Parts: sequence; C-alpha cells; structure tokens
Amino acid sequence: MTGRGWLVLLLCAMPGVAACRDTPKARAAELQKIAAVRKQELARRIATADAAPEMALPLAMWIMPPQLREISGLALTSRGTVLTHDDNSGRISEIDPKTGILVKAFSLIGNQKEDFEAITIAGNDIYLMASDGKLFRFREGADGQQVQFMMFDTGLGKKCEFESLAYEPDSTRLVMVCKRTLDKQATKDLVIYRMPLPLNRGTFSIVQVPLKQVVGSNKWKSFRPSDITIDPFTRNYVIIASHEKGLLVLTPDGDVVRSEPLPGDHRQPEGVAITKDSILLISDEANVKPAAITLYKWRP
Amino acid sequence: MPVLKEMIDVITMKSDRPVRRLVAYYAIVAVVVAILAYFFPGEIARIAAKGLGDVPEGPTVLTDALSSSPTSSVSFGPGTLFDVSLTTVMILIGALVLILPVTWVYMSARPSGGQHNQNVVQTLIILPLVVAGIVFIVQNSLALAFSLAGVVGAVRFRTTLRDSRDLVYIFLSIVVGFAAGVQSLAVGAVISVVFNFVLVLTWHYDYGRNMLMPTASAQWSRPLQALASPTGDHQIPDRDLILSLTPENAAALADRFTRVQKAVGSKKKKPRFDSILTVTTDVVSQAQGRIENVLERMTKRWSLDEIVTNVGKPSEIYYLTRLKKSIPRDVLLTAIHESAGDVISSVDLETGAPVEKEKKEKKDGVSA
Repeated sequence: MTGRGWLVLLLCAMPGVAACRDTPKARAAELQKIAAVRKQELARRIATADAAPEMALPLAMWIMPPQLREISGLALTSRGTVLTHDDNSGRISEIDPKTGILVKAFSLIGNQKEDFEAITIAGNDIYLMASDGKLFRFREGADGQQVQFMMFDTGLGKKCEFESLAYEPDSTRLVMVCKRTLDKQATKDLVIYRMPLPLNRGTFSIVQVPLKQVVGSNKWKSFRPSDITIDPFTRNYVIIASHEKGLLVLTPDGDVVRSEPLPGDHRQPEGVAITKDSILLISDEANVKPAAITLYKWRP
Repeated sequence: MPVLKEMIDVITMKSDRPVRRLVAYYAIVAVVVAILAYFFPGEIARIAAKGLGDVPEGPTVLTDALSSSPTSSVSFGPGTLFDVSLTTVMILIGALVLILPVTWVYMSARPSGGQHNQNVVQTLIILPLVVAGIVFIVQNSLALAFSLAGVVGAVRFRTTLRDSRDLVYIFLSIVVGFAAGVQSLAVGAVISVVFNFVLVLTWHYDYGRNMLMPTASAQWSRPLQALASPTGDHQIPDRDLILSLTPENAAALADRFTRVQKAVGSKKKKPRFDSILTVTTDVVSQAQGRIENVLERMTKRWSLDEIVTNVGKPSEIYYLTRLKKSIPRDVLLTAIHESAGDVISSVDLETGAPVEKEKKEKKDGVSA
C-alpha cells in the first residue's frame, strides 16, 4: 500500500477509534464503575474503623488537583457532596467525598481574586467569606460556568481576621469565628459573631468564650480557628484550628463540650465538615505534603 | 508531504505566491483540527488551551493516598500512561505543524541574492520539539526546572548566526516549542500565523528599504550603461559596488557584461543599443507579447535581454533598445502603458550616455 493509502486509511479509522474510546457515555460508565468500587472500599474501611474506635483511623485521603493547592473551606451540599475553594481565587469545586470524584468547578464572574477563607451553604445561596469579613453571595453554577454574585461587607474586618464561616439552619444565621481579634478588650476570648439572614450590619450577636476554657488541658498557647461546621446530630459548633491542630466542640450558647487534638497527621488543616452519615472531613492546604481532604469516622 | 503539497496546489490553483500557499496550508490545518476537535474534544482542548488557566475538564477522579488499588490512581487528566503518551505525541505533532510554514517562509522570503542556511532550517524544525519536550517535563516543578538549568548549563554551545533575522526565527521556534510544552498550541498557532504573514508581506513590499539607496535593478543598470559607452573603455564605474558583491553576484554581473557586450558590438562601432527598458509584471507572457508589439513599432531595434522571475513578487523583464530619433522616451513609455498598462506594475527606460549627449547638443544648438 502506498503512503497515501495509509494516510487515507488512518483518517478513515480515526472517527471509529474516537467513537469507541471517549464518548460521554463511556466516560460516565467508567466513573460509575470507579465510584462503586470506592464506595465498597469506604464501607469496608468504616467497618474497620468501627471495630477499633480508639485508633481514629483515616477512612480516605483524596489528593487535590493543582487548582486546589491552597484548599480552604468546606461546605456540605444536600446531595452529600462538598463544595470547596482555593484560598486566592473565587473558583468553587464540587467533590464527592465518598468516591473522590471532582464533579465540577465553577467560578465567580470576573475570576474574583480575594483572600477567600471559608464557604457555607444557606438554602439555595452559597456564601464565600474573605478574611476581612466580606461575604460573597451567589448561586450554584454548572461546570465551567461563571456565576454572578453580591458582595456584602459585614464591617467586622476592623475587629477581626476571619477564616471560619458556617450556616446554622435552626436559627437561620451565619456563624463567623474570629481567628485573631483586633479588639484589645477581647484578646483572651474566643469571639464568635452570628449574623441572622437576610444580612444586616446592625443585627449580629456576639458570643465570647474564655480561651482558658477552650484550651483546657491541652498544651496550646492559644486557639486560632481556621474553620467551623455545625454537627448535624447535636447542632454543636465544631471548630478546628490550623496552628494548634486542635478540634473544639462548643454548644451554640458557648459552653465547651470538648477540646482535643485533631486525629491523624495534618500539616495545615483549613476546612472542616461533617456528613449526615458521621464522616468528619478535614481539608489540608499543600504544605510539604500535597493538599488533601481526609475522612474520619465522626463521633459526637 | 506530497499529499499536502497536492492539496495546497488544488486550493491555490498551483499559485506560487507565498501568501496564497500559506493561507491554503493554514486552512487545511484548521479543517483537520476542527475534525479532530469534533471527535476528540478533550484531547484537543488539553493541548490547545490548557496552559492558559484552569480549563474545566469535567469529572476528575482524585487519587486516594491511602489505597494502592488500581482505581486509586485512575484519572482522566494527564496522568495515565496512555494519556501522557498521547498528549506528548500530540504536542510534538502540533509544534511540527506550526513550525513547518515558518521554515518555508524562512527559505523563500530572503532578500535578493540571499541564501538561506540549511542548518538554521533544520534547527527551526527540531528546536520546538526539544523545547516542547523540556517544558512538558518541567511544568509546575521548580525542582525539575533547577535541575534542567544545571544540565543545560553544563552543555555549552555557541554559534554565530550569519543573518540577525535568523535569530528572530529561532526565537519564534522557541515560542512555538513553549506553547506546545505548556499545552497552549492555540497561542502558538496565532503567533505562527501572524509572524508568517507579517514576514511575507514585509518581504513582498520590501518594507524598510532605504529610499536613498538604488534598487537592485538600478545598481545593475549603471555598469551596463558604462559598458555601452561610446568610448568603450569598459571601466567599472562604481568600485565600491563591485567590491560589495558576493562571488555569485559578481559572476552573474560578469556574465551579463559579456552578454551585453555581444549585443552592443565591437568597441569602434556605434553601439547597437542605447537604452534599457525595465518592466515589472505579474504575468510575464502577456506583458511580453504586448510590449514587444510596441517596441516593434516604436524602436529602431530591440532585443530581449533577461527575464528575472520572482516568486511572490513581480517578475522583471529587461530589453535592450535603440530608440528612433523621432520617438522620445516619454512617448514610448506612454505607448507601453496604453498597450500593457493592465498587466504591468511599472516600466522604466534608462537611456545611455550617447543619447543624453546628443540631446544636450541638440538643445544647445536650438538655444544658440
């Protein structure tokens, strides 16, 4: 066969090869297969963890792609997936924590650059918070979509540096924990701001918890929260601190339930979430180790 | 390659004009890419625009750091052996496709009499492949980048390029390689297209030529006039011009002197021709027929001296002529314009020294 003959044959064969190889249907089927295998594996690991509750074994650790190198907050969706984001871009990624599949990603219109620190979902709205207390409200977008947003300045940037945000469904309010207070009178307290929805600057309430109670018997010098979530079973506030690598459980009234070191080995834990089937998710920014989301069995 | 050449010939109707051939080539490439993008959208997006930012890629399977099972490392992004190999092959082919027309332009768009350097042509083809490979490996790895700097630092090579323009081609070759390496071939394609067309057009219009400098044809015509002088001393009128010629050009000039000498006859006799008619045209055969009809009518004698065929720019036809005394220069030029104005770009008649002298004497006589 001549060279031209081979070329013609190759061009004719390409569509056939392409059709067999990479259709959306074939891709979806492969994803389903992987998801099934992983769910099975997760169930096996949960069973192992249940058998040895004192060991706090991680159930899975999903390595994040480069665009989530500085992964920060976590927020659970009603579908059981989590929304997460990178520290310095308004790009939201949806991850299924049980199968480790990055489902989709969308971003705020204009590729907003801010020091984004936390994310939460309140009904149909998603809130992204910058460290200076600015809140960006938007709706969920499709894969690759850029979504419109509304920015609301809480005005608390002068009082606090924030890294934590959660939505408390029972009282329809946003809960923001101060990482570092700039108010000299409250340096020895853990300060929590609560803002009822719809947002209004004048309606927030404050809970102050003495740091002594927070630290308890741990060897921490302070406690600088990096994220907060609401325990779906007890409605308590579950707060983690990146520097101390600690975990704090508080009642909504500010009473300390317990404070303890985080399970496992975490370099820079920046986000926390608890699923309805008792799985604790902790996200770590890349720091020597790659960025990851680690799963543990949650015991309230 | 013969298939590609045939396709380009069909599209351009066998035109030798570089712009048309470039347009045809890029059109073929665009069609092939469109077909591939239809059947392999993911792969084409991955090599064409990935380096530009976070391009949504649909569902991606993340790696489970706790597991060693096969599904833990399955990924739809670059990562599997097949995907990495396929991506590498595609970026190399893409770089080759983009750099090929650059080499054609390099070889054809040379200044008159300039020769291209074969080593540079081959370097232009190989360089982007190497650069793409290096960038593809180094991507996102500072450690690898430093290692590469160390390795490259150990390999010293220095070469002096004959023409500073060659350096621009080398830079372009590196840019195409980079674009391919960071999987942004779309950027490389745009740069390649713009570069080629700008270069061909500047070459076509002789952009940047010093208006005070004589054109190539003018440089040739002056020695020819001297040769045709009635004194017949055949002295070189411009020593610097001759010294500046390359051996090839000097040989060509010598050949031309010989031919002209044959045409003008021996020293003692009156020269057979006293002027040179220079015509530039895109359609040589048509222009030739019409001009020769005019010359037949309006000159005492004429002879076709030379046809210089250029690709991509108008060809030049030179005639040696002897005007009738009753026909002034302008009348002849006007007649040529009337007869062949639609097929010629320019026409000029340079008269030799005897004619000028005769005219001057006549003028002086009239005024006296």
